[in-house]
Amino acid sequence: MAKRIVLDLDLCCGCRSCEAACRAAFKGESRIRHADVNGQAYIPFACRHCAEPLCVASCPVEAITINEKTGLVIRSSNLCIGCRSCAYACPFGVIDAPLVRHVSQKCSLCVDRDDGPRCVAACSSGALQFLSEEEIEKHEIGMRMQSKHRFFRRRA
Amino acid sequence: MKKIDPAFNYAKKLTCPFCSLGCEFNLILNDFGIKGVDYLKTGSSGGRLCPRGSAAALYLGHPKRLSMPMKKDKVIEWPKIAKELNKIFANPEKLAVTFDRNITNEEYELILSCCHANGIENVASCYLEPESALAEFATRNFDPGDLGSPGMVVVIGDPFNQSPLFSKYIIDWKMSDRKNRLIVIDSISTHTASFATEFIPVSIGAEPLVVYALAQEPGIKTEDICKVGGDCIKEIAGALKAAKSGLIVVSLPFGHIYDPGALADSLHTLASASGKNVLPLVEHIAPAGNIPFGDLLAKNKKGNLHYLMNFGELFPYYYPQLSLEFKFKDIYATSPLRQQEYNTIPFALNLEKSGTIHTNYGVKKLSGGIVPASGARTVHQIIEMLDIKKNGKATVRKYEVKYDRSARISTLMDKSTTAPKKKSMMLLGEKIAFDFMNIFEKEILKINPADAHENGLVDHETVTVESKRGKNEMEIKVTNTVPTGIIAVSAENAATRGLFDFEIVEGSVYFIPTEVQIWRKG
Repeated sequence: MAKRIVLDLDLCCGCRSCEAACRAAFKGESRIRHADVNGQAYIPFACRHCAEPLCVASCPVEAITINEKTGLVIRSSNLCIGCRSCAYACPFGVIDAPLVRHVSQKCSLCVDRDDGPRCVAACSSGALQFLSEEEIEKHEIGMRMQSKHRFFRRRA
Repeated sequence: MKKIDPAFNYAKKLTCPFCSLGCEFNLILNDFGIKGVDYLKTGSSGGRLCPRGSAAALYLGHPKRLSMPMKKDKVIEWPKIAKELNKIFANPEKLAVTFDRNITNEEYELILSCCHANGIENVASCYLEPESALAEFATRNFDPGDLGSPGMVVVIGDPFNQSPLFSKYIIDWKMSDRKNRLIVIDSISTHTASFATEFIPVSIGAEPLVVYALAQEPGIKTEDICKVGGDCIKEIAGALKAAKSGLIVVSLPFGHIYDPGALADSLHTLASASGKNVLPLVEHIAPAGNIPFGDLLAKNKKGNLHYLMNFGELFPYYYPQLSLEFKFKDIYATSPLRQQEYNTIPFALNLEKSGTIHTNYGVKKLSGGIVPASGARTVHQIIEMLDIKKNGKATVRKYEVKYDRSARISTLMDKSTTAPKKKSMMLLGEKIAFDFMNIFEKEILKINPADAHENGLVDHETVTVESKRGKNEMEIKVTNTVPTGIIAVSAENAATRGLFDFEIVEGSVYFIPTEVQIWRKG
């Protein structure tokens, strides 16, 4: 099981360093999005790299595929025809519907970078972490979660 | 023939000069230019970077980078601009030399020594950001020992947005012990406020008054300026004094309060009353000049000064309301970006220079490991091309500012308790790191839902904002974080900054919360 980005809501200070890091690396396109919680906090959210992704199922040209080794859901910009099916199929709304250079934008967990995603490296308060499932189980962060599945939510 | 490998990237370690934390990062380059930034695992920030740091590569390769001197909108050759500068330096009594940010300590010294050698008396700092009032506190380094447990931290403003990297210290400290108290004082609800143990909402510009009240200064009716009673303020003041460890953190955005000078004085009072240190989080620490900038403006109005030469990044482009007051025959200013209304000289960013800068962790070295953008020159290179004397003393004559505390308190009480005129709103500045120089996004105007409803406005709508100083259009965001009667914006571009009114108080220029009117665009 590959590592995943985990957000510790208690630590997020809403500075959007993660979004800035993503935009700076991908020519102004942000692959991480934010939910504005009543102006009090910006909650970042990115692709969850689902086990059974609906974006993959919805893609008419098989531009989105799952890497069997790492479990990453990767979009090929060469194959993408910009139909937005993935954006509408994603139940979490993490794929932006507006196209950038005629293709959809989707987080790839910065596979091009050896030290993990840039948003995690940049996170100013340490709220974003890049952890494997075992680490999440052991980590305090896992204790705060309602679900130990990939779709983390905080306990109410 | 040797092939160039486009994938051959190399890294240069740089110090971020965009705020006083001075974080380190790697700039990734290859033979074709700047690729981006990468994050180190070491350094004062532990490799993390706020939006300003992440924007460094984009700022360095900004499409508006200036590469040739410009006479307003026309390109002018270097020898010609040197000739013009030699001419104005030949009349030292009619010349004012100013400086703002994006200058290294060594460059400041060179400017001051040149002015001394050439008999230029009118040397002023035109870094007119309110945080310049906090410069004296910034010379003391941050001591993590101030954040002990159990302890108390009083925060004025929104440091989580001003210097996000500092948030980790505060959040870790607060979560380490349930007894740790974080008190936030601000006129709008911010991200820092959402982490507070107790948030003290105050009326516009009343932060210095609450700080005076915490220092037990007599004559302040806290009930008039904040929604917290006098007993509560007394309890907090007592707890701060009694706390084993504690810190007073302050960040001050443009156009947020009426009197930054009073805030600096109130912080002195609170620091000595409570025995706790003050930590200012600022963008830049600039020295003062021979005279206050307000006095320089007055001299210009009398017709005694004909020319102005500025070294830096902000002036006069980012203070358009001041430009309307000028009576200079000619203004020459350095700038990293194209600014077509003025005579501009291409200027290197601190990221591209070698030298030192002041930070909250002491003096840090800039590596200067990268070549400045095409045409951009440092202060040394600009002064080198002029036929002027260069070896004077790098000293400034310190000016004394009279401070009448009781008069300032009563003026502030009046301003903070006066409601704006009917159909008007108060425009307040805030600092959002993500909006830095509008590199990622244009700033957004925050408005309370009740005010939006009254004006018939909806979320994301574009509105026109007009003050007596200027007019601008921007998108609104309807949010409960700003109280009714107030609209807040991060002033990161000239048009937005130009909306703010200013006051000259004992020589210091203060950009203040301003009465504005807003309506739907069109």
